[in-house]
Amino acid sequence: MARLTPTAEITLGPFFPPRYVDTGANDLTVRDGRAARGERIELHGTVRQEGGAPLDNLVLEIWQADANGIFRDPRDPRHADADPGFAGWGRAATGKDGAYRFTTIRPGAYAMPEGSMRAPHVNVIVLFSGIMRHLQTVMFFAGETANATDPVLASVQPASLRERLVAPRDGAGYRFDIVLRGDGETPFFED
Amino acid sequence: MATVTLYGIGTLDEATQSARVIPGYRQTALRTPAMPLHRRPRTRSELTGPREQAGRLAQLGADIAGHGGRQAIGQLIHLRLEVVDEDGAPVGGTLVEMWQSNAAGRYIHPNDDDHAPVDPNFYGAARVLTDESGAIEIRTVKPGAYPVPDSNHWWRPPHIHFSVWGEVWLARLVTQMYFPGEPLNAEDRILNAVPDAAARAALVCRALPTSAGPANALVFEHRLVVRGRAATPAA
Repeated sequence: MARLTPTAEITLGPFFPPRYVDTGANDLTVRDGRAARGERIELHGTVRQEGGAPLDNLVLEIWQADANGIFRDPRDPRHADADPGFAGWGRAATGKDGAYRFTTIRPGAYAMPEGSMRAPHVNVIVLFSGIMRHLQTVMFFAGETANATDPVLASVQPASLRERLVAPRDGAGYRFDIVLRGDGETPFFED
Repeated sequence: MATVTLYGIGTLDEATQSARVIPGYRQTALRTPAMPLHRRPRTRSELTGPREQAGRLAQLGADIAGHGGRQAIGQLIHLRLEVVDEDGAPVGGTLVEMWQSNAAGRYIHPNDDDHAPVDPNFYGAARVLTDESGAIEIRTVKPGAYPVPDSNHWWRPPHIHFSVWGEVWLARLVTQMYFPGEPLNAEDRILNAVPDAAARAALVCRALPTSAGPANALVFEHRLVVRGRAATPAA
């Protein structure tokens, strides 16, 4: 079959409608009136550009497994057992101070078909004016022994950069600061 | 354990995708990573996606040109949008969000301080799911061009923004659609950041004959291709 070329990505621009960052879109712990199982956490941080200026109105989206490491998608072989109270997806926008916040649950690890493990992690997409093609990164959790063997974290080279993707515990949650470019730049993945 | 069909996400042809840093668009140089992007293995985590979550989000409808005595000002258009994957297969039930300026080039957004007037009958945003054939028809007004602040006379041509979820996480698409025959297209710093001429042309919608639509609206059609194709089973 003929293969079509994927449409070129173009920046989100500065005017993403505030209405699209719905009230509650950054809370993954309630779905259809049911509460998610697992450890409830606040996932928060700031997003900055080169030179350190915080970015206002930048959009983050996340996608993660539930507390048992199951994705709410029929392509996950354990899909039937997914937590009905957990959303899996969320969206948040930064404020003038560059800060964002998600309320979610700590995801579980899961075994890959060949037997190795994916450590608990949260997939993150960054969308904003001046970002022509959306940026992909992944947040991991400090203190997880599975981090040492996670194949995605291991793909970050040199290894000294990996700690930038491992969020430290901070009060009731985890702090994951994102630097788009420059000192302390966050590692991003090919799209 | 149930058998599942994986979805194939290949590598993008860079010539068909935008440059990341664009001369004359200064924010790109401050917000594009300087380090090389890391190549990771594809796992279940990136090859699943939030399709089942779309119902959580409030639908805003695809008819945004106004009603009754509250019609938006501008040229009324119908836009027939089709979302397909790289096989050409329709992507049904996927979330499409669109947003645009009004006919005078002004967005309803706290950060748009352009002098162009707000239209009280036009918010400029639609959020709908594609039908089983991957289609959506949007009733709106044609957006206006507008100058980019502090840019030395760069004007954005009329365009509509789209955000599409696609089948899986890696299929996420955020893009813009342009209109045929617009003089500003030839000099737009964003549209012309896509090197391949065919890929650029694919960002421009197509005007249909006036007979294609209702008596009071011009009709355009446009196709969005999200990444991914049915995976070939391993030999």
